[in-house]
Amino acid sequence: MMAKNEKKEVVVIGAGPGGYAAAFMAADLGLDTTLIDPEAQPGGVCLYRGCIPSKALLHVAKLKREALEADAFGLDFSRPEIDLDKIRSWKDEVVEKLTGGLKQLSKRRKIKYIRGMAAFKDAHTLEVEKHDGEKEELSFQHAILATGSRPMSLPGINTGSGQILFSDDALDIESIPETLLIVGGGYIGLEMGTVYAALGAKISIVEMTQGFLPGTDRDLVKVFAKGNEELFEEQWFETTVTDIEESDEQVRVTFENPEGEQEERTFDKVLLAVGRKPLTGNIGLDHTGVTLDDKGFVKVNAQRQTEEPSIYAIGDITGEPLLAHKATHEGRVAAEAIAGKKTAYEPRAIPAVVYTDPEIAWCGLTETQAEEQGKQVKITRFRWSASGRAATIGGSTGLTKLIIDPGSDRILGVGIAGKQAGDLISEAVLAVEMAALASDLSLTIHPHPTLSETLMEAAEAYYGHPTHIFKR
Amino acid sequence: MIKEIKLPEISESAETGTVTEILVEEGDQIEEEQSVIAVETDKASVEIPADEGGEVQEIKVAIGDEVETGTVILTVETEAGEGKAGKEEEKKEKKEATATEEKEAQKEEKAPEEEEETATAEKEEAPEEEEEKTEKEKVAEEEEEEALETAREEAAAAPPDEASKEEVPAAPSVRRLARELGVDIYEVEGTGPGDRITADDVKSYAREMIQGKGGEAALPEEAELPDFSEWGAVSREKISNIRKATAHKTTRSWRQIPHVTHFDEADLSLAESFMKDNAGEVEAAGGKLTITALLVKLVGEALKQFPVFNASLDLKNEEIIYKEYIHIGLAVDTDQGLLVPILRDAGQKSITEIAVEITDLAEKARNQELSPEAMRGGNFIVTNLGGIGGTNFTPIIYHPQVAILGVSRAQKKPVYSDANFEPRTVLPLSLSYDHRIIDGATAARFTRWLCEALKTPCRYSMKNSNDGKE
Repeated sequence: MMAKNEKKEVVVIGAGPGGYAAAFMAADLGLDTTLIDPEAQPGGVCLYRGCIPSKALLHVAKLKREALEADAFGLDFSRPEIDLDKIRSWKDEVVEKLTGGLKQLSKRRKIKYIRGMAAFKDAHTLEVEKHDGEKEELSFQHAILATGSRPMSLPGINTGSGQILFSDDALDIESIPETLLIVGGGYIGLEMGTVYAALGAKISIVEMTQGFLPGTDRDLVKVFAKGNEELFEEQWFETTVTDIEESDEQVRVTFENPEGEQEERTFDKVLLAVGRKPLTGNIGLDHTGVTLDDKGFVKVNAQRQTEEPSIYAIGDITGEPLLAHKATHEGRVAAEAIAGKKTAYEPRAIPAVVYTDPEIAWCGLTETQAEEQGKQVKITRFRWSASGRAATIGGSTGLTKLIIDPGSDRILGVGIAGKQAGDLISEAVLAVEMAALASDLSLTIHPHPTLSETLMEAAEAYYGHPTHIFKR
Repeated sequence: MIKEIKLPEISESAETGTVTEILVEEGDQIEEEQSVIAVETDKASVEIPADEGGEVQEIKVAIGDEVETGTVILTVETEAGEGKAGKEEEKKEKKEATATEEKEAQKEEKAPEEEEETATAEKEEAPEEEEEKTEKEKVAEEEEEEALETAREEAAAAPPDEASKEEVPAAPSVRRLARELGVDIYEVEGTGPGDRITADDVKSYAREMIQGKGGEAALPEEAELPDFSEWGAVSREKISNIRKATAHKTTRSWRQIPHVTHFDEADLSLAESFMKDNAGEVEAAGGKLTITALLVKLVGEALKQFPVFNASLDLKNEEIIYKEYIHIGLAVDTDQGLLVPILRDAGQKSITEIAVEITDLAEKARNQELSPEAMRGGNFIVTNLGGIGGTNFTPIIYHPQVAILGVSRAQKKPVYSDANFEPRTVLPLSLSYDHRIIDGATAARFTRWLCEALKTPCRYSMKNSNDGKE
């Protein structure tokens, strides 16, 4: 049966970090808000099958590694034992706690949460199929589309059985395979590799391009590679997977190297981490004026409004980078725009963090982009071998670099590789957003001894007088 | 094949306009280059031609719509889908190819890679090397500086695309402030370190905007209005863009320029007979020999004699800018309002040429065929109200010009000469000037020069350029 409802002011479709942030903001701005998601609680991929569970597992991996490495400092532990069920339930607890918290926050804001799937009938009507099977028609003044993305598969490869995994399956840690092939050397591949290696699997990794983390500055990647020489049993670059075949309990994979030579190998499981694609199908976009660009992302303006004026779109479906924090920011912008505020999505720097050990983080202009754009920049690097704090935590391989506009001394971008790089990058993001000059950073007193000093000293290096480097 | 007709770039200075007329109907068969709508920008009304022919499917704009470059005006069903589109693809590809080449060229120019810094306190290098390096670095830096300059200049010349837009150095809070105040942050000049735009920069820009110095965002502010309907019926009408522009310009000029208007009268007797004698010749050339044409010619000469009237005041740099070209604006009264087309290089043209051109410009102005470009770059304006009447008036200078000549109706007056009153045709002239750079005596001399020149018009021949100089 179809029930027809009164017109909603704002309906948010998808309750990931973009959708719930948009809904919360809309409600805070006094708009009557409805939030629709197939899960029982808000959170989306990020909380259920992405950022949060992966970080919980990565924390376990890090603890294990540090425990093993501690004997170098004179602290000897017995070899850590893995209790998979316990790890899983701890991870699930974390997820449950956070999503439950979001549900509370949603209720407090008097947001109507509908568990179900929605599709547009036209530019002002949604058809919602609720979790209990009931169908409902919902008319709205404004909709915010935040359906996100899902892992991409490889062309022509069937992924029916349980042996070929995507990141969401891998995060369930049903079992630990003896051998695992990771297809894709991007951040998901590296993070999942780190987790599964810590859990005891022998990991092989294959990447289509010349190295890990395509597009990331090579000197940063090098810090990761050096610190993880034993992480992977085998690693292949410039190699593609041409075929994957599942047979009894095993997966046979055919590789092709740049010379066109083929090789066959067998693994217990294969994880496909070759990228994500926007979820724009089955939501009735063809009944609206919403249009997609040639990469399949929804076209939006600076207010995140689609070409159908009543519909906004945020997060992974609007394009790169496919990151939770970008979605959150967009969500708040879209809600503000609907509330009539003069707002725009115009970040100068979106931080990216790879939560491996060591971590890699960057924001703003990268050296690689500067090269591609033929842009004149000055790069200063501070190696952590000169950082006192890094020495005390066994992190001397780290690197902090600044990408600076030589005309104005403005900081255009920052890259950090090393322990806690993900937390360190925030100061850099603020610097780029504020259009800070290298002198703003070098003249700001940083606490000693911390890793944050490396940012200050990299800025000092720009002016030629870093305290902890002597250079002629 | 359905094609979209989009609003092309109207001019460099105008990105938006208001649709004033729709010249076709849905279902019409139109040809390429046929005008489909009329758009009024700041100071001009332009008819927009279709870049595709075919049957009009849907008209996507309405009269009164604000449209900007790229707005879809209408869709047409073209007969032969291929041709034009193919060409455009090709063009686009070529463009892209050039862009890539340019990029690559830039890449090659890029300064040598930054040397890696070694983060060890112990490492030392010989002092000689230091000096050498410093030299090298200096050279590299200079080169870098140069490259940067060029890049900046290029960036300034190119229209602001997305990439260059990202460069604006301003904190997120400042950018938000700008949005809230309706300020285009990309127009604001930063005064902070590294040209960073501060909140104060945005506020002062907004203030200037309201005062009509910066942008054209709003009409000059006025005190609150009483409710006129208390005293009788009223009706309201939207102010046209041309009227708005006039309001801006006159307000700005009036507020900024200390105006003085100098009056004089010219004896037209000889000029009248000169005009009579040469009317036929000018008519044969396609123009009409009017007193305005004659005056424009003489003003052109006067501006050569008195260059300060052909100048502008640069207060910021405390300089006077002398222009080595003489472009004279002509105030034309049209149904849409006051338009001022520019007659270029008036100083080098003969009276005949000027007369023909004036006829043409006035016609274009009345038919709304002037492009905004045709109204930019003037140095001095001649405004003749003589056709309507009046004895004198005080015209407002068109900032950043420094003077304007008003012409009123010529009249027969008894002029006392040789102990007798003689009937003479006398032309009243009103010269408004900017007292900041022009003094009363100079203005009086300028006007007198014009009056005297009107007594000897034959010195300025009908055909040759650069006459009157010898």
